[in-house]
Amino acid sequence: METEENVEIAQKGSIRDEFLEAAEVKDLTDSLSAIYKDQIAVELAIEKFTRIVDEYQEQPHLMDPYMEEMLVRILNIARRRDHDPALSHLAFKFMYLLTKARGLKTVVRLLPHEVVDLEPVLNYIYQQDATDYETWETRYMLFLWMSIICMIPFDMARLDSNAQTATGEVREPTMLRILNIGKRYLSVCDKSRDAAAWMVAKFLTRQDVKNEQLPDFMDWSIKTMTEVDLETMPGMTALSGVMMAMAQLFKHGKREDLVEYAPILLTTMIDLNLFEVKNTQIRKFAIKLTQRLGLTFLKSRVAAWRYKRGSRSLAENLKANGMGDTVPKVKEEDLDEDYDVPEQVEDVIEKLLVGLRDTDTVVRWSAAKGVGRITNRLPQELADQVVESVLELFSSVERDEAWHGGCLALAELGRRGLLVPERLPEVVPVVLKALLYDEKRGACSVGSHVRDAACYVCWSFARAYDPEVIKGHVNNIATSLVIATIFDREVNCRKAASAAFQENVGRQGTFPHGIDIVTTADYFAVSSKVNTYLNISLYIAQFEEYTQAMIDHLTTIKIAHWDFVIRELTSQALHKLTVKDPEYMKSQVVTRLIPLCTGIDLNTRHGATLAVAEIVHALSLLAQSEDRTIADYLDGECISALKKITSTMEIGKMFKGMTGEVLKPAACELIQKLSLSKLPCPEQDTVDHWQSVLDDSIIETLRTVTDIHDKAVLALRALCNQYYQLENGQPIPAKQDEILNRYMTAAKSGQEFTRMGATMALGVLPKFFILGKVDQVIETLLGAATKTATSEKFAEARRDAFTAMSSICTTVGISRSESKEGISPSQLKEIFTALFEGMKDYTMDSRGDVGAWVREACMVSFTEIMQLVLQLDQSLLDQGSYIFLIQNLVQQAAEKIDRTRGVAGGILLKLLHQESPVVPYIPHREELIKIFPKSDIELLNWSAPSDCFPKITQLLTLPQYQYHVLLGLTVSVGGLTESLVKHSGTSLLSFLRNHNSPDELQTVTDIVLKIFRDFQKIDRVSLPMMKMADLLLSSGSFDNLLTSKESSFPTSLLKTLKAEINKSADAQKLLISIDLFCSLIQFEGNIRRKCLSQLFLFLCHRYPKIRKTAANKLYEALLVYDDIFPEENSETVQELLTETNWQDSISAVRPIRNQLCDLVGIPKPIVKTKQSKAEEGDDQT
Amino acid sequence: MGLLTILKKMKQKEKEMRLLMLGLDNAGKTTILKKFNGEDINTISPTLGFNIKTLEHKGFKLNVWDVGGQKSLRSYWRNYFESTDGLIWVVDSADKRRLMDCRNELDGLLLEERLAGATLLVFANKQDLPGAFPAEEIRKTLRLDEIKTHHWMIIGCSAVTGENLLYGIDWLIDDIASRIFTMD
Repeated sequence: METEENVEIAQKGSIRDEFLEAAEVKDLTDSLSAIYKDQIAVELAIEKFTRIVDEYQEQPHLMDPYMEEMLVRILNIARRRDHDPALSHLAFKFMYLLTKARGLKTVVRLLPHEVVDLEPVLNYIYQQDATDYETWETRYMLFLWMSIICMIPFDMARLDSNAQTATGEVREPTMLRILNIGKRYLSVCDKSRDAAAWMVAKFLTRQDVKNEQLPDFMDWSIKTMTEVDLETMPGMTALSGVMMAMAQLFKHGKREDLVEYAPILLTTMIDLNLFEVKNTQIRKFAIKLTQRLGLTFLKSRVAAWRYKRGSRSLAENLKANGMGDTVPKVKEEDLDEDYDVPEQVEDVIEKLLVGLRDTDTVVRWSAAKGVGRITNRLPQELADQVVESVLELFSSVERDEAWHGGCLALAELGRRGLLVPERLPEVVPVVLKALLYDEKRGACSVGSHVRDAACYVCWSFARAYDPEVIKGHVNNIATSLVIATIFDREVNCRKAASAAFQENVGRQGTFPHGIDIVTTADYFAVSSKVNTYLNISLYIAQFEEYTQAMIDHLTTIKIAHWDFVIRELTSQALHKLTVKDPEYMKSQVVTRLIPLCTGIDLNTRHGATLAVAEIVHALSLLAQSEDRTIADYLDGECISALKKITSTMEIGKMFKGMTGEVLKPAACELIQKLSLSKLPCPEQDTVDHWQSVLDDSIIETLRTVTDIHDKAVLALRALCNQYYQLENGQPIPAKQDEILNRYMTAAKSGQEFTRMGATMALGVLPKFFILGKVDQVIETLLGAATKTATSEKFAEARRDAFTAMSSICTTVGISRSESKEGISPSQLKEIFTALFEGMKDYTMDSRGDVGAWVREACMVSFTEIMQLVLQLDQSLLDQGSYIFLIQNLVQQAAEKIDRTRGVAGGILLKLLHQESPVVPYIPHREELIKIFPKSDIELLNWSAPSDCFPKITQLLTLPQYQYHVLLGLTVSVGGLTESLVKHSGTSLLSFLRNHNSPDELQTVTDIVLKIFRDFQKIDRVSLPMMKMADLLLSSGSFDNLLTSKESSFPTSLLKTLKAEINKSADAQKLLISIDLFCSLIQFEGNIRRKCLSQLFLFLCHRYPKIRKTAANKLYEALLVYDDIFPEENSETVQELLTETNWQDSISAVRPIRNQLCDLVGIPKPIVKTKQSKAEEGDDQT
Repeated sequence: MGLLTILKKMKQKEKEMRLLMLGLDNAGKTTILKKFNGEDINTISPTLGFNIKTLEHKGFKLNVWDVGGQKSLRSYWRNYFESTDGLIWVVDSADKRRLMDCRNELDGLLLEERLAGATLLVFANKQDLPGAFPAEEIRKTLRLDEIKTHHWMIIGCSAVTGENLLYGIDWLIDDIASRIFTMD
């Protein structure tokens, strides 16, 4: 859903009104001669130009007003022969990019075409290197240019008057030179072949060239076609070149000139069996050419009705009322039924029909257009036979390709008015079937292309038929199109159906309520299927022509759809549609659906169950509004059938296994809706069974991906409300005990999923049901929210427990005194203690930081409960708790997970600006409000690192938050995500640049050390801490502090760092520590010596990777701090560090390491004995 | 390529018309074209090749092909017939001597298959010259009333004064626009 809408916005965003970059293009063009030698500048220019023209890919016509000027300007650079060819090539490259964007037909028209151009351009082409793969654009453009030049109305022979070269030889006639170079390029493998084919075809249509050269060219072509080796790439390339030229020639040429060659070409293609080769291109050209040959055999014909179907564009048509009366009456050509159809036409049609079921779309397209065009020239009787053959494609044994090709062909026939009205009774049902085509393939299905093509057919009806003709089918077509417009799963099909509907409304004017529907279900409105299913459907259903058809479609087709999202939307749509025809729903739909709930197909079962649930619920609401009950609407038989659905499922073992996972949420939904509908249910059996289904879904289920818990617990609440409540509002005591005990026990389960379900269930139970038992429930939830040895990883269960606590607080309320009504102050205290603990939950599992869910739930729950407290008596919470909450929010708002930051930041701002009641005891409230003004509630995107870190770092000046912000920042700055690290790091550094007095820095360093110590050996913080410390030291952020007075920071940091890596075998931690050690080398004296010793230890570490990294980093550090040791040794040291293979065995590298120690002047580490090794595990023997 | 793509393409193509302007040499074809385009018409020499001009009018984009009318060039006219929506036949109403010539050339064109379906507009040009035949006269001489295969109209005009040029083109565009667009 969301993605579809985003796509829509993206499309809207790229729509332009005019071409804006004309000046930019001019500058670019003018700069070419200056930059063409500089490769980088050239690449940048090409990139820029490509970006400009790509913007207009969708609306290239916007460039038209500037096209000629742009082209000529570039061409004037390209055509000059007195400068470097490289510049010409570059200019031609630009021209090609323009051509690609605007299309060659438009561009060709704009190129100069004087007689004087011919000779130079031809020579230019001859000078090109056909194999230079970097300059093919030049050849491509030159051939295109040639194609318009060679249209000059001049006898080619007149250009050969002085046809002698300097050496005195008689040169080939120009005509031959043009043709020969074209022929040569028909077999090249780059795109210049396309242009050559285009040029050759244009050239051959000239009267003089045709007379002199066409026969030879035809011989050559057929010879080439038969002689190339179809097994090789060059063979295929040459073949497609020739076929391209042929297809163009037969398209542009005069029919009478070409007809004599058509039979032999057709035979050649059939003999070579080009229709079945693997190469798609060849098959496409074979179909294209076949089509053109077919058209050559037949005389063209003008459609007699073309003036009767309104104007060219629909918009014009809608505006103008009737046509002008100036058109003289002209008798259209009589249909010439008796002229001869050559026998080859039959072969042509046969090949095209086969092409309609080709595996490739392009081939089917070409075939469909061919069928349309050729049938247009056939006598009526033969035309009808073609239609009949096309209709044969729509059989259940044909694949989707055939259906698609068939639809395309019908559309092409339809828009030409070739489907005679007598055929409509056969055609319409087939098309309507195709509108719904959806074939299951594994987990999904194919058919959207068929449905789209079916819309094309419906669209074509609108253009070709008189409203009178189509009248009998209007309702069927209109209904089917409406259904496709609002209920198709694919956005392109919905839009296509909407367009087809609009065309019919505009041209036919007979669609019921057409204008209303067109304006509601327009192109943009149908983008979102939620909108079409739930809103537009409701609007259209008010027109009774469509209501039942829509309901029928949903309840017969869409409830069985393979996509469960569609099935859910279907049920929701049915809920809404119920009010439009309650009578129909009551009397027919419900009874028809009930058996399907327990039918054979899983999708149907699921969809039908959801549908029944929604419809019954909608009916009950309707009944209520009339002061009646559902029992007045549905007969007893129906009601008892409804009650039996779940038990039938149970008996049929439908809840078992994978299928059960799909069905159970639907069953829960059904139970919920039936309960909400107040279905009379005096028998205990049914309720018991429902209860057992819910218990099963909530606490007996293994982990699934579906949202079963959400649905089941809501059903449980509805069930309790409806069936466990006595007249006086009290619960049935036995039930209360039974159910609460069951769920409280389950909340202690060793299965996480069971715990999750049980805690959620306890959270949603209605007030009357838990009153009197609140203590036990809260106690249970507190238990579930506490980490124990067995439940350490149960983060999701803890999340649900916390959420449940706050919802119980909301349900029963809190009280000032210790009573059984509501949450007592002592319970409240326990809850808050648990919430504080939960905010420190950083549980990790294979999915990563799952504790984040707990922390988020805690922040939300804390806030919710706090709001209750504030409304009652703010002193129920002590001052420390308020402060703690805000500090924690600040910390979470600086941490690394975008979503968590979003939650924390959102709450923080809300509490900060809350006016009634004001949240008390917010530390530094004034400063906070300055940093986060009220507008930030709307504007600040906490999830975006670039937005939130510059703000949150400002809190580092506020004593009460410094620790928390820095703790949060640590994991962000030392994190992994690039944007996160970049923005948080930059924000921190820029903060320190602006607050760099020694005192301020002292505070920061103290906190850094405190965090490092507090989280000693806790990798979650200590690893990023080392990275952050390295960043801060190497960026020189502390220079002011470290140079101005004697600081203990480096010493303390080193000490903490050594303690951190002590006895660690964690390679990652050690690798990170190497960087920090290297940074610490900057402090001369003791610290430097200690660091170097440590690094030398690493040089002989037992992990080769650490040895190598230590050597590299040490080398880099020595380059930076060149005063570490006597300069005369420096070259040797550097050489030893870089040339040694540190991944070699320890015994091999140790002597080198020791040599280094001597050179640098650091005592050699002592190889440890067994005892000392236990103390320091870094350097092994 | 789905229906939406087809529609998008069509929407663009529907807005374009291809008009072919033919006639004997010195009939005033290029002058008409230049007058339309607002260019200077004082320095026009015989068209020895062909011109293509794109004009915007009435919301349509008109691609007008103007081909030289010398006798030697006429056999090349056929190169330009393809996908023509409208044919503009320009007559020098003052050149009485060659009216039969004019009629024969036009008759030949109307038999051309690739021009079948195109609308015909005859400009009886040079009405500003003394002694020019009125349009009615030209209509008879060219036997236009015998044309049953094309929608046609004749109108007297003057490329120099611009008289009736717009009226003629408007009629042509309206006629083309009032038939349904097919992409063939």
